[in-house]
Amino acid sequence: MSNVNELTVDRRLCKPPMVQIQAASRRLGGHQVLKDVNLSVSEGEVVVLVGPSGAGKTTLLRTINHLEEIDSGLILVNGQMVGHREAGDGKVSRDSARGIARKRQGIGFVFQHFNLFPHMSVLENICHAPIKVLGRSKAEATATAERLLERVGLLDKAAAKPRNLSGGQQQRVAIARALAMDPALMLFDEPTSALDPEMVGEVLDVMRELARDNMTMVVVTHEMGFAREVADRVVIMDAGQIIEEGNPKEVFNAPRHPRTIEFFSKIL
Amino acid sequence: MNTDLNFDTEFFWKHLLTPTDAFIEGLWRTIYISVTAMLLALIVGLVVALMGRSHFTVLRWFAGGYVWLIRGTPLLVQLVLVYSGLAALGVYRFQDIMVSGLVFQGVVQAAIITLTVHEGAYISEIVRSGIESVDPGQIEAAAALGMTPLAAMRQIVLPQALRTMVPPLGNIFNMLMKSTSVLSIIGVSEMFLVAQGLSATTFRTFEIFLVVALYYLALTTIWTFTQRAIEIKLNDQVGIVRSESMIKKLIGRRPIRIEAGV
Ligand SMILES: Nc1ncnc2c1ncn2[C@@H]1O[C@H](COP(=O)(O)OP(=O)(O)OP(=O)(O)O)[C@@H](O)[C@H]1O
Ligand SMILES: [Mg+2]
Repeated sequence: MSNVNELTVDRRLCKPPMVQIQAASRRLGGHQVLKDVNLSVSEGEVVVLVGPSGAGKTTLLRTINHLEEIDSGLILVNGQMVGHREAGDGKVSRDSARGIARKRQGIGFVFQHFNLFPHMSVLENICHAPIKVLGRSKAEATATAERLLERVGLLDKAAAKPRNLSGGQQQRVAIARALAMDPALMLFDEPTSALDPEMVGEVLDVMRELARDNMTMVVVTHEMGFAREVADRVVIMDAGQIIEEGNPKEVFNAPRHPRTIEFFSKIL
Repeated sequence: MNTDLNFDTEFFWKHLLTPTDAFIEGLWRTIYISVTAMLLALIVGLVVALMGRSHFTVLRWFAGGYVWLIRGTPLLVQLVLVYSGLAALGVYRFQDIMVSGLVFQGVVQAAIITLTVHEGAYISEIVRSGIESVDPGQIEAAAALGMTPLAAMRQIVLPQALRTMVPPLGNIFNMLMKSTSVLSIIGVSEMFLVAQGLSATTFRTFEIFLVVALYYLALTTIWTFTQRAIEIKLNDQVGIVRSESMIKKLIGRRPIRIEAGV
């Protein structure tokens, strides 16, 4: 018994990184989508993931909350494997659906196409999981939802249905929905790519504010201005591998890898 | 052409407006057999559709085999096999049972079971395509929020699938109400069989079956309105405002489209 306690204390002292990806590989349809990827994200850090189309950014992001599996390697979030569990004897086995679901609760995910629930109002979209998954009371969930809606500037849309909102509004609701679960980590997959240009700013503003509040974030985006300004670290992927990483100033001003230079020359 | 039509107007109106007790009883039987079979078939259809998506090969095979078998044979044959065939074989004989003072006829039990099994096969296909019509991104969003696959199916996917499922399900119910007339073959005294009896004793075949036709029409019309109300409610749920008028839907008129290049 005392062993277990010691272990907990020990872990807290070491404070593992929020995300730890070790030698992750993934093969999909005869194509090596991830090749031996190593990445670690510490608490409060904002990591922006960039790279050409097909580089494997989405796949890597999705492996973090186990929406995508890896064939080999190890991924830990808060020191825990999301898709697998470790038995007492150290044997690792696939986790149950319920076990995976429980670990995903603390990881927010924002999709390129929002994926709001169309049959629910904005407020219900945000309250649903806190009530059904975390077992919060309706009153408590509603209060939290309203606070979050205010934060993303959409309190007046609480009763609206997603289809009657603009893309930018839908994405802000999607961010609020993820935040309602009190995640320790937020993952964003091109959150502004499906938006009309005039709506990109309002979503980036919300994300900027989140970063300011010390949320740990991994963001896939093509918004280089945002990366420059908000990222603590920029990670460049190409052909399933991380080819370069560093703080935004270094990476943008003096890229080293030829593929990075080629990529920047196309988009900047 | 015979100008002196042999149509007994008085007989027609009498049976239309003041039907005999036996006729009303037949009408009720038609209604409750249809409704009960439909509700049970919805459950069967849902379960079979979920079996068809299961990880277990045996369940998928069972679902596929069931749909193949039921859709490949006529309702009439299934009915006779279940009611008369099983009894003749000595496997099972449907008996009348008493349920809180009311007699639940064996033949009605057989009818409800057969209709349930029959319609369940068609409904499972509707449920399957309804589930497939929901954007896979919905399941991912639910999963990312920490919902289990089962909770995501129940709370996120099925409510959305329902919207695409209602029109074909409504169609099934419409046809089910009318196909209860084949139950007369095993002796369920629903509306059709009662009318046949009246026709045999009065020889007023046209009048009595015109009355029957009007009653079926009334049932299906009530259902059409009910179905439309359900559709409007479900559209409302996703924030679509109503456009098409009820009458237009009823008559089934479609807006005229001029297609380019035709
Ligand atoms: N299920 C799959 N089956 C086969 N190949 C896949 C599958 N999913 C992804 N891929 C391939 O893996 C590669 C990486 O895909 P991924 O979506 O992760 O790239 P990305 O960096 O996010 O690109 P984009 O910027 O276009 O979103 C692509 O070449 C893609 O075609
Ligand atoms: Mg992508």
